[in-house]
Amino acid sequence: MISLRIVWAIVRKDIAQMGRDRFFAYITVLGLVAYVALFWALPSTVNETLKLGIHGVGSDLLAGQLGDQQGLDLAVFDTSDALEQAVTNGDLAAGVDFPDDFLPSVALGEPTTVNVYVPADTSPDIRTAISGMVRELAFLVAGSTLPISPPSEEEIILGPDRAGDQVPLKDKMRPLLAIFLLMMEMMSLASLIAQEIRSKTVTAVLVTPARTSDFLAAKTLLGTALAFTEVVLMMVAIKSFGSEPLVLLTALLLASFLVTGLALLAGSTGRDFIEILLLSVLLIVPMMIPAGAALFPGTAATWIKVLPSYGMTEAIVRASAYGAGWAETAPYLLATLAWCAAVFAVGVLMLKRKVETL
Amino acid sequence: MSSAAIEVDGISYAYDGRRAVDEVGFTVDRGETLGFLGPNGAGKSTTIKMLTGRLRPQTGTITILDMPMPSQASKIQGRMGVAFEEKNLYANMTARENLVFFGRLFGVSDLDPDGLLDRVDLVDRGDDRVAEFSKGMKQRLMIARVLINTPDVLLLDEPTDGLDPVSSQAIRHVIQEEAERGAAILLTTHDMAEADKLSDRVAFIDEGRVLVTDTPENLKLTYGNRTVRIRSRDDGQIVETVIPLDEQGADERIRQAVAAHELLTIHTQEATLEEIFIHFAGRGLDA
Repeated sequence: MISLRIVWAIVRKDIAQMGRDRFFAYITVLGLVAYVALFWALPSTVNETLKLGIHGVGSDLLAGQLGDQQGLDLAVFDTSDALEQAVTNGDLAAGVDFPDDFLPSVALGEPTTVNVYVPADTSPDIRTAISGMVRELAFLVAGSTLPISPPSEEEIILGPDRAGDQVPLKDKMRPLLAIFLLMMEMMSLASLIAQEIRSKTVTAVLVTPARTSDFLAAKTLLGTALAFTEVVLMMVAIKSFGSEPLVLLTALLLASFLVTGLALLAGSTGRDFIEILLLSVLLIVPMMIPAGAALFPGTAATWIKVLPSYGMTEAIVRASAYGAGWAETAPYLLATLAWCAAVFAVGVLMLKRKVETL
Repeated sequence: MSSAAIEVDGISYAYDGRRAVDEVGFTVDRGETLGFLGPNGAGKSTTIKMLTGRLRPQTGTITILDMPMPSQASKIQGRMGVAFEEKNLYANMTARENLVFFGRLFGVSDLDPDGLLDRVDLVDRGDDRVAEFSKGMKQRLMIARVLINTPDVLLLDEPTDGLDPVSSQAIRHVIQEEAERGAAILLTTHDMAEADKLSDRVAFIDEGRVLVTDTPENLKLTYGNRTVRIRSRDDGQIVETVIPLDEQGADERIRQAVAAHELLTIHTQEATLEEIFIHFAGRGLDA
């Protein structure tokens, strides 16, 4: 049976202690301010235009024909060197250099080479797409049409059409920022627990009418409340609450509960600040992977989907960036709830065992 | 209601098959101080853990204030005060805050922290953080913490170990006051002189077993060697004569030694608890 009087007494004492731990008091406030500042410093628009440079015979013709096409920005260069330099500088997604003998060679059916300059970090799929585009440009320059009759296409967009209205990177960063902040709270609580174990103050507490269950309840209440309050404050400051605030609040509450479970685990196994730091990093890294993956388009790999923070990340992204409701986020919230139960059960068992064997 | 506040009957506990406490039994009456004496590793701490409800005895029973431990642990702990050997205080809180926090755990609504601090001569340091305290001050604060709930039973683990004479005297004074108030006190220590001063009875424990329980006086009279040491001057030379009082004809030998030369000093010497412990355990406390 948990005594609310005792739980409240322990929580009050813990708040006073945490407030006096200057390191965690500073990093908690600084973290909150820094993450909010970082969010607002990021660009809020998405550049959906492909910048392409061209040089050589037919460049002006191409620029005239395609210059006003949506999503394509063609720039004509006077020399091959200037084009190459612009690609090297990162000003262009690619540069297409038609040789001087391009038109006669195409007309005579002789082989010719078009140089395509791409930055070193261009992915293979983008290179393939650019090569395909170059072939089409070559047909345009040569004044030929493709020897096929292309099928008619009907584009069916599943979900809201985001052409011209893409979600900016910073909006997708919300879960990552939330996880950073929650992890700091995790370290703070874990450190407090480890300190109680190391100094054996917990033993002094447990020979009063306070039970182990009171101690665990107090730590859980404090950890969850602090993490939740702080992450909600940050989400308010970065304008995350859209049309479905309750969904987001639920996701954040579950996330706070999850990190509290991790804190109980880290606090019961780490003996000092350095061990807590190492354990926290070990726990933080896998937790950040789904949040990192959410920054990039495409479907997450299966192994990412089984990580504890995946459901929480998806729920936060969908609720804050896309305004998703209960129906869409329910599977992710349930997955997070299941992870909460598992992590918390292990954390409580570890801490209970540690406390009772002191 | 039993006159004994603490009744321990045949308790045992083994860690991974190694017996730390083996069929231990003793009682402590209200207003009595029992010195629980033994070397490190004798089983004192394990016994204390069982008495505080942190370990469940594998055999035997513990009854404290007529309630079984650990099944009534919460009720018993509300009337018990425990001071550990480790100074397990909240270092970044002040002395007063430490007391107020534990007062809340005990549900003491009319706590007088200054009164408690005054009893251990710390009233002028109430607003200082414990981290700034010396070892002796921390120990005195531990004793103040023990008194928060005006306990009927006190378990004190090495309360004066390694302290300066001023702190030791302050703590001894509080222990005596609490015994006079009627609290039952179990004092675990390996300091035999301390136990001799504070205990009404002592129990020797070694290798998990209680070897003997009695008053220090009885133990010394029954098992110790009493001697008389006589120093006299004979033709300018100092002569010292040691006469065991328990030997036959001791009275006559004393009379002769006193009459023979110019008497300088006479000292009686009784056995120490340390010697009695060696008598029972076959080794000293530090062995």
